[in-house]
Amino acid sequence: MRYPDIDKYAWLDSPIHRLEPRIKILSFTVLIFSAVFVGNIPAALLALAVALLILILSRLPVRFVLQRSTPILVFVLPILLLMPLTVPGTPIWSAGPVAFTEEGLSYAVLITIRAVAAIVLVLTLLGTQRIEATLRALSLLRVPGVIVQMLFFTYRYIYVMMDEFLSIWSAMRAKGYTLRPNRYGLSIIGNLVGMLLVKSYERAERVYCGMEARGYRGKPITVAPFSITAADCFAGLLLIGIAGGLQVYPLVAL
Amino acid sequence: MNEAVTIRDLTHQYPDGTVSLEDVSLTVHGGERLAIVGQNGAGKTTLFLHLNGSIRSPLDNVLVFGESVRSMPIEERIQKVGVVFQDPDDQLFMPTLYDDVAFGPINMGLSRDEVDRRVREALKTVGLSGFEDRVPHHMSYGEKKRAALAAVLSMEPRILVLDEPTANLDPKNRALLIDLINRLNKEKGITTIVAMHDVNAVSHLADRVVVLNTTIVADGDAHSIFSDSKLLKENNLEAPEAYKLFRIMGCYGYACCNALPLSVADAPAALDASLEENGGAISLRRDGRTAEELREVFERFEY
Repeated sequence: MRYPDIDKYAWLDSPIHRLEPRIKILSFTVLIFSAVFVGNIPAALLALAVALLILILSRLPVRFVLQRSTPILVFVLPILLLMPLTVPGTPIWSAGPVAFTEEGLSYAVLITIRAVAAIVLVLTLLGTQRIEATLRALSLLRVPGVIVQMLFFTYRYIYVMMDEFLSIWSAMRAKGYTLRPNRYGLSIIGNLVGMLLVKSYERAERVYCGMEARGYRGKPITVAPFSITAADCFAGLLLIGIAGGLQVYPLVAL
Repeated sequence: MNEAVTIRDLTHQYPDGTVSLEDVSLTVHGGERLAIVGQNGAGKTTLFLHLNGSIRSPLDNVLVFGESVRSMPIEERIQKVGVVFQDPDDQLFMPTLYDDVAFGPINMGLSRDEVDRRVREALKTVGLSGFEDRVPHHMSYGEKKRAALAAVLSMEPRILVLDEPTANLDPKNRALLIDLINRLNKEKGITTIVAMHDVNAVSHLADRVVVLNTTIVADGDAHSIFSDSKLLKENNLEAPEAYKLFRIMGCYGYACCNALPLSVADAPAALDASLEENGGAISLRRDGRTAEELREVFERFEY
């Protein structure tokens, strides 16, 4: 089957792809935080422009980025709609007790632009290197072993879970089940989720046996042959410099 | 001959009270090829989990090369016994194949160069060189099965234990895996212990067969086990197809000079021997007793 791999374009070649994973994670994290904390719309637009420029440099297909960002944007949209109605200020339009305020609108636009910039940066970070490279880099960056191992297993077994879900789902379809939003339909979905949980629990026990059979005692479980070059350092510092610039820009512009 | 595995009066009970093993005593010699056959729930997997110490017997009654598994340090244990489980998805738990095959050697505390050497050699042995960066979900079931074997081979164990190695494999991958296990036994002197239902493959993989049904019911060479129809029926097992065909030929007057073949691969030798014995020709005929004998064969060997 075709899996929705987030790293399916990790094989492309671009300056962003070539950046050493640890440097990339650190500099992108700083940049993402900076983009999220910018204080006004011009600075947020600048952050978005930087994010888009990096995306273009990374040569990731636009379609891929759009597909991947849509599910996250679904969570941002309500903010865009609700903010103008809830933040008090100068009303642009009002109907009884409900007022659409200018301050609310500008706040909503600011949050949306920040969010889009952050999403673009996160997707560029995750899309330009293989997931295991990201995980290894996290391990080398001293992220606690338990968290890294949990991420490793999540990545490995999400596909097994998908296969198991699909096999139960097709067995249900083969017996004539169609998803209907009524009590019966939902209770069947509940059973399916329960079944998946039981299967995962049993599999976890077997996997643990497999790990023990190969000497697992909770220590770090991977090797990472990464090396940082001068070019990586320069690119990392440049990105962090841009992140700083985003914070300084509103002060200078004022 | 040295004793690779010695089990004495092993009994195991699950917390819910189910007795999975009862008074199991078994000795496996170094370099031997052993198959453990038995119905579902006969205790094969539980027995295997005792061999590598995943389940510990409260007594020192599971010994590997003379040492009790119970008190053996984990690094030593995994170098002596490697267990390949039935479902490769349970065994391949790392994101890439390289990481997975390197997992055991890293836990053994080997140097990075040695880990790398072992990973490449194990992958070469199972025919998966060049698959280092592959992720398990992009591999076929047959490849995953061989990858799981490589992940155990990288620890260079002296005893290889495989749970249902041929289950769910297509004929080509099944043949590949059988050949691989036999090569490991022959070229590297690894003792191989396999649990299987695939009776047609047993004679390819083992010189000695043990029938397990909570306790050891029978122990002998493949011929003595598969010709004992009472034993097979009592344990929900069956004889290989080739063997049954030769038994049917026997009803038509075919006489074989030695033991009947247990696989298609052994059939030509049996036919040649029979031809030599009978002056270059084999004649089959139906007589008054054929129907009765056929009925008896079907009754004894079929369900």
